[in-house]
Amino acid sequence: MAHEEDDGRTGGDGVVRRRPLRERHVEETVEIAVPVRTAYNQWTQFKTFPRFSAVVQGVEQVRPTVTAWTIGYGPLRHRFSVEILEQDPDAYLAWRGLEQHPTHEGEVEFRPTESGGTAITVRMFLRPPGPAKALIRSSRVTELTARLVRGELVRFQHFIEGLGQEGGAWRGTIRNGRVQHDTPEPPRSRVAQWPVG
Amino acid sequence: MQNPPGEEPETSLSVTPPKKWAAGVPAVVHALEYSLEQTSPRKTGVDLLTMNQVGGIDCPGCAWADPAPGRRHRNEYCENGAKHINDEATTRRITADFFREHSVSDLAARSDMWLNQQGRLTEPMFKRPGSDHYEPIGWNDALGVLAQELKGLDSPDEAVFYTSGRASNEAAFVFQLFARALGTNNLPDCSNMCHESSGFALNETLGVGKGTVSLDDLHHADLIFLVGQNPGSNHPRQLSALEEAKRNGGRIVAVNPLPEAGLRRFKNPQKPRGVVGRGTQIADRFLHIKPGGDLALFQALNRLLLEAEDARPGTVLDHDFIDAHTSGFEEFARHARTVDWDDVRAATGLTREEIEKVRDEVLGSERVVVCWAMGITQHKHGVPTIREIVNFLMLRGNLGRAGTGVCPVRGHSNVQGDRTMGIWEQMPDSFLDALQEEFGFDPPRPHGLDSVKSIKAMLEGRVKVFLALAGNFVRAAPDSDVTEKAMPSCRLTAHISTKLNRSHTVCGDTALILPTLGRTERDVQADGEQFVTVENSMSEVHTSQGRLEPASRMLLSEVAILCRLARLSVDGVGDIPWAKFEGDYGTIRDSISRIVPGFHDFNARVTRPGGFQLPNPVNEGVFRTETGKARFTCNDPVVPRAPEGHLLLQTLRSHDQWNTVPYTNNDRYRGIHGSRHVVLVNPADLSALGLAQGDRVDLVSVWEDGTERRAENFEVVPYPAAKGSAAAYYPETNVLVPLDSVADMSNQPTSKGLVVRLEPVGDRVRDVRTTGAGRPR
Repeated sequence: MAHEEDDGRTGGDGVVRRRPLRERHVEETVEIAVPVRTAYNQWTQFKTFPRFSAVVQGVEQVRPTVTAWTIGYGPLRHRFSVEILEQDPDAYLAWRGLEQHPTHEGEVEFRPTESGGTAITVRMFLRPPGPAKALIRSSRVTELTARLVRGELVRFQHFIEGLGQEGGAWRGTIRNGRVQHDTPEPPRSRVAQWPVG
Repeated sequence: MQNPPGEEPETSLSVTPPKKWAAGVPAVVHALEYSLEQTSPRKTGVDLLTMNQVGGIDCPGCAWADPAPGRRHRNEYCENGAKHINDEATTRRITADFFREHSVSDLAARSDMWLNQQGRLTEPMFKRPGSDHYEPIGWNDALGVLAQELKGLDSPDEAVFYTSGRASNEAAFVFQLFARALGTNNLPDCSNMCHESSGFALNETLGVGKGTVSLDDLHHADLIFLVGQNPGSNHPRQLSALEEAKRNGGRIVAVNPLPEAGLRRFKNPQKPRGVVGRGTQIADRFLHIKPGGDLALFQALNRLLLEAEDARPGTVLDHDFIDAHTSGFEEFARHARTVDWDDVRAATGLTREEIEKVRDEVLGSERVVVCWAMGITQHKHGVPTIREIVNFLMLRGNLGRAGTGVCPVRGHSNVQGDRTMGIWEQMPDSFLDALQEEFGFDPPRPHGLDSVKSIKAMLEGRVKVFLALAGNFVRAAPDSDVTEKAMPSCRLTAHISTKLNRSHTVCGDTALILPTLGRTERDVQADGEQFVTVENSMSEVHTSQGRLEPASRMLLSEVAILCRLARLSVDGVGDIPWAKFEGDYGTIRDSISRIVPGFHDFNARVTRPGGFQLPNPVNEGVFRTETGKARFTCNDPVVPRAPEGHLLLQTLRSHDQWNTVPYTNNDRYRGIHGSRHVVLVNPADLSALGLAQGDRVDLVSVWEDGTERRAENFEVVPYPAAKGSAAAYYPETNVLVPLDSVADMSNQPTSKGLVVRLEPVGDRVRDVRTTGAGRPR
C-alpha cells in the first residue's frame, strides 16, 4: 500500500486544496492525446461511462455531488452510490463510496503534458467489508484491480480520442462534498423560488 | 365488491393494546380486503401493478418519492395507497336516482365515511336556489351557470378558487391561469393547512421552500430525525427508505408525543424478514415529547453543540460551511447560549440527560437528515421550530452534502407541484410577468386570499363564488362550525370532484357538482390519450397515466372542465389557447416550460423513465435568501402550557383514513376499533382529571376570543400519550381549532397544541371491551 506524502495541493490560483485520499492500493496513469479541458469535460459526463467501460452498466446523476453506479459483468450487477468530495475543473476530482464506512475512495488527477495532451492518473483505496477485507491484502488482488483500472482508463482514452471532443461538461467546483458557486445564480439553481406549503 | 351502506353502520368502541410494529402481512390482508370490497379483482390488479411504476399511475395517497426506475418493486405501494387507489376505482356509482332519494339536508346529516362509501359521481348535478335537492344538468348548462355567475361579479375578487393536492400539474396550471385571467389571486390551497410553515421557514432561511433531500440521502444518512410525523400511517413507503437506511448502518431518533407503531418497528411485507421475522427496528431512540416542545428540543441541542465546540474547539462545528455559506451565526450563538434548561424541561417533558444522549448521536454522525410533518407545522410556533431545525443542521454543515438536509414530508401527492405551478395567492412578479409575456394579458398583482382569509371573507359576505378543484374544503378547514356558516354565504359553490363529500352538502344557495376523471382512469382527448404530471416531495417530476375505463361516459377531465369553463368566462382575455390545452396537455406543458423555472424541455424530459428531478439551489451551493447566504435565526423560546385541568390537544389521522376521508372506524395501530369519537389521554392525566376509560366527555377548546368550541360526546381512552397532552381524530375535532388560531407568519391553522378541557357528559359507557393483554397502558 502506498501513502501520500501530503494532504494538500496548490492549484493554479495558489490555493491549497483538500486532498482527502491518504492511502492507495492502486495508481494508474494514461496519457491521452486531447487537451486537458476536453478530457476533463468528458470525464464529468458520468452517464456516458457505459459507452466505453467494460464494467459500468449505468450511472444515475442524482445531483452534482451524488451519482449512483451500476457495475457488472455478465448477469451479475452491483449498485452503489458515490459522493464527490472535491472537484476542480481541469485538475482534480476525489470521491468516496456513500456508505457509512466507505468501501472505496479515490481520486482522479488531470495534468497537461508537454505535447498538449493530458495525463490522467487514477488512485484508489479499497476497504471492502466482511471476508473480502482479507482479499485486499493479497498483492494478486491489488494487481488485478490495477489492471482493471488501467483497462478502463485505456478504454476512456480510445473513447475520447476517437470522439475528438467532449459531449458535455460540468465546470463546477466541489469542496468537502458541497458545490461551490462562482456566479450569483448558476443555471441549474434557476428553479421556482416561492414557498411550497 | 360490496354494495354501499344504506344506513350508517352501528359500531361500538373496542380497545386493544397499541401495536408495536407497522405493516407486515396484516397490511397486505387489510389492503386486499378493502380493495375487493370496492372493486373487482381485475381492476384491483390493474391498479396495483401499475401504481408508482414507470408509465403507470402515481399513487394519490401521499407525495413520497419512488425509487429509481429499475429499482422499484413489482408491488411499489403501501396498504393505504392500495386502499386509496381502489377507493377511487370503486365500482359503486352515484346516479341521479341517488340524489332524488337523498336531499341535501339528509346528506348533510351523514358521516364523512358514509358519503365516501356511496361511490363515484357520474354526471353533473345542480342545486337550484332554494331547492334541497341536486338534480341532473348537462355539462354546457352547468358550466354556463358557473360562467354567468363569474362574469356577473362586481369584482373578480368576489370569487375564490381552492385547490387540493390531488390536482395534476396541468390542471393546477390551467386553474391558476383561469383565476388570473378572470382577475384574481384568490387561490387558497390545501398547502395552507399542511406545510405552509415549512415553505415559509425554508424560503426565509435557505432561499427555497422545498426539501433538499433525495431517497439516496436518506439511504445513506448516518442519523435521521423523524419529528412530528407518523410514517406508519401517513407515508408508509417512507418506512422502506428508513429500513434501507438502517441496513446501511444509519440510526434514527423519533420525536413524537405518541409512540406510533411505525416509529418502533417495520415489517416489510415484501421481504422474508418482514413476513416471518421480527422486521426492522426503526427508532433507536424515542423522545416522548410534549406537543409543541420541538422548538425547545432543537434549541437545547444547539446549545449543547455550541458547548461541545467550546470544550473541543474546531472539532464540532463546520466552520468552513458556517464562514463561507451562512450569515447571522454570532448573533444566533449568543442567543442559543441563553436557552434555559428549566424552560426546556417544561416545554419538552424530556430530561437533560435524554437530550444529551441525542447530542452524542449527533456528534457521532457525519451526515444528518431531519424529516418532519404536521406535528411541527401545525403549531403556532411552527415557523420558528423549522428555522431552529435549520440552525441545528447548519451548525455541523448538514446541508448541501450527500446524506444531509431537510425533509418536510408532504401528505398529498401533488401538493408540492400545485404550488410550483402557481397555485399561491402571493405569486412573485417574476411569475406573473412570465404569464403576461406568454399569454398577453396583465395578471392581477395584489395578493389574494389564503384558506383562512377566504373563510373570513365569506363570513363578511365578500365571496360570492367558490370553486374547488378537488378536495373537501369544509372538512379540511379549521373551526368547522364557522366554516360551515361561511360556505353557505356564497351565492354559488361548485366542486370538481370524483366522490361525494360534505363540501357538496354544506354549499351555496346555488351549487354544482362537476364530476371528473380519477387518476386511475384513461383520459382521452381530441389529440389522443393523455397523461398528466406530478411533483413529489423530493422535487421529482414524472408522469401519471390511468389504465381503467372511466367510471362514467359523462365524466370530463379536470383540464377539460376548466378549459371549457374558461372559454365561457374569460374568452378574449389575452391569447390563451384553451381549446388546444384541452385537446393536448402537451401544449400546457409547453407553456409551463416557458414560465416555470426548471421546467425547460418539459415534454421531452418528463417522458424519460422516472421523469426528471428539479434541481435544488441549496444542493448547488446557492442560497437565494436576503443575505445571499443560508441564514441563522434567533427564535424566542416557547413553552406551551395548559392551565390546570386542561390538556394540549393534537388532532390526527387514524390509520384507516386518507385526509378527510375515513375508510372505516378503525385505527388498528393505536388499538382503536369501531369508533372515531375517542380522545386518547395519558392514564396519569386521566387520574388527575378524575376520568376513567369509557367516560364520555365533550372536548372544549379554550381560546382568547371567549367563544366556546365543543366537540361532543367523545369516549376517553387511556393511551401512552405524552403527559399533559391528548389526541383525537380530525376532521371530527376541527371544530375545536379557532379560525384565528394560526401559525405566526405562515397563517397556517394550528391543529396541534390546542388547549382543551374534557367535560364529562354523564352516563358512563359500560360496554367498552378490552381484549388481548387487557387495558391499554
